Amino acid sequence: MKRFRRRRGDLIVRLGLLVFGLCVIAIPYMWIVLTAIKRPVDAAAVPPLLLSPTTFNNFVKLVDDNYFKSLLNSVIIAGLTTASTLVLGVPAGYAFARGRFPGRAFLGGWLLFSRMVPPVIFIIPLFLFFHDLGLIDSFGGLMLAYMTGLLPFAIWMSASYFADIPLDIEDAARVDGCTRYQAFVLTALPLALPGIVTVANLIAIAAWGEYFVPLILAGPNTTPATVGVVNFVGYDAINWGAMAAAALTLVVPVFLLTVAAQRGLLRGLTAGAVKG
Amino acid sequence: MNRGGLLLTRLADRHFLVLAAWPSLVAMLLVTAIPFAATLGLSLTDYDLVRSATWQFIGVENFVEMLHDPQTPRIVFNTLYLVVGTTAIDTLVGLGLAVLMEGGFRGLRLIRTLYLLPIMTAPIVVALCWRAMFNNDAGWINYGLSLVHLPQPIWLGNPLLAMPAVIISDMWTGVPFQAVLLLAGLLGVSVELKEAAQSDGASRWQVFWYVTLPSIRPVLVIALILKFIDSFRKFEGIQLLTTGGPGIASTTLNLHIYVTGLTYDRVGYAAAFGVLMIALIAATVGLLYAAMRRLA
Repeated sequence: MKRFRRRRGDLIVRLGLLVFGLCVIAIPYMWIVLTAIKRPVDAAAVPPLLLSPTTFNNFVKLVDDNYFKSLLNSVIIAGLTTASTLVLGVPAGYAFARGRFPGRAFLGGWLLFSRMVPPVIFIIPLFLFFHDLGLIDSFGGLMLAYMTGLLPFAIWMSASYFADIPLDIEDAARVDGCTRYQAFVLTALPLALPGIVTVANLIAIAAWGEYFVPLILAGPNTTPATVGVVNFVGYDAINWGAMAAAALTLVVPVFLLTVAAQRGLLRGLTAGAVKG
Repeated sequence: MNRGGLLLTRLADRHFLVLAAWPSLVAMLLVTAIPFAATLGLSLTDYDLVRSATWQFIGVENFVEMLHDPQTPRIVFNTLYLVVGTTAIDTLVGLGLAVLMEGGFRGLRLIRTLYLLPIMTAPIVVALCWRAMFNNDAGWINYGLSLVHLPQPIWLGNPLLAMPAVIISDMWTGVPFQAVLLLAGLLGVSVELKEAAQSDGASRWQVFWYVTLPSIRPVLVIALILKFIDSFRKFEGIQLLTTGGPGIASTTLNLHIYVTGLTYDRVGYAAAFGVLMIALIAATVGLLYAAMRRLA
């Protein structure tokens, strides 16, 4: 009985601490929501106002500033990047999980090494190359540059999902006369699909949030929302209201995706660490 | 299956894996290996964006200049300050959070998911939010401090406080990230082992120290190394929060390379800092790895 009571008290303390942590996490989100519906004069008030008259002018300002064009660019870039990274990365992950092939050791080593190297090392030379190739301010160029970080991630993650699928099933398919390609498409791929959906989610979220690459390689036609949102930060003054409204458009889709895919994401984020 | 058939199948297998893997290998070489080699090469040139037609090899001159540059020691110090600070704080607090998230009770899955949200939020949004939080007069942090009658420092304008502000804002995403990684390790610790220790009379703290912690050491090492790598490449949370200032008080190598190369056009000199950064990352990650192996 004593032990039971101790466990119960323990539980309440833990839950309390966890909820307190969530409150801390909620503060910046609250700031975004409240500021997005404030008049500029209230957003800059000293001392800060928690609640003030509600307005939707900040969103009108987003329309006026053509911010939605950059939001559309974000959707295009995230879509293109996710599709191309999966098309290249998933088969490579399968090859990694399923055996030896020439170049395996090199590819594996390079994947690890490139994870260590900061993007700035790749992106500045890419800026020079893209300049000569006319790829600056193009969706294709951005897609290639986004791959520097996301393709290794896709290969690594999908390999970890394929490694979980028992070989027997593919062997059975092969005994039944399937070629290796058919065995991959008809048995391994469907079984790994939940995992691949998770990888796709994580890649789309990462591409959606990418700032450094488009800061250097995008241009007037391809600027995504992550770079567009900074336009509301002027040299002398920041339009906090419009900025918060823009930030809200970046946050909400990811919120929905995260909650919808919650189960897979937790595993997806940690698969690499647990398997080493 | 006869021998000939088996041989043919094997041949097809090998072919299939090559066909599956090599497009990725080629793409990786294009977008990472070639630019990486280019950075190494550029560090030996005086390549300048304004005079890009007339660059030439200048040997190790960039590295000599870097060694004599009065800013270099400060920037390296800032980088290590950020990396060690964020890694230590985020991992320690993250471990605590992971322990809280470990037990089984109702609603726990939802709580774990909500802790994922900062990790998924675009870093640029995080940086902009914290810039508003740290605002001198209209910011919520100083407002909160004024409510409890504590001093309200000028966070982002004070050379001593700029980097701590960067580290504090990093905790918002860094702590949940470390917690999620370490939670995966905690969930893999053998329950039998913990119960055996408990029935032998070990206190909960002893169980954690002597059973749980050794069991999650591999995950802990990976969490530390990943955090190290991520802190080295931290960009938005510095560029948008402090712009590396005041002065260069919060400028790290990553930001400095960007500014030197693309704001001041000195791509060759920036590449030399890039080489320094890679060496620093390799050295610290290697050191961390070796230290952990010796402990094991």
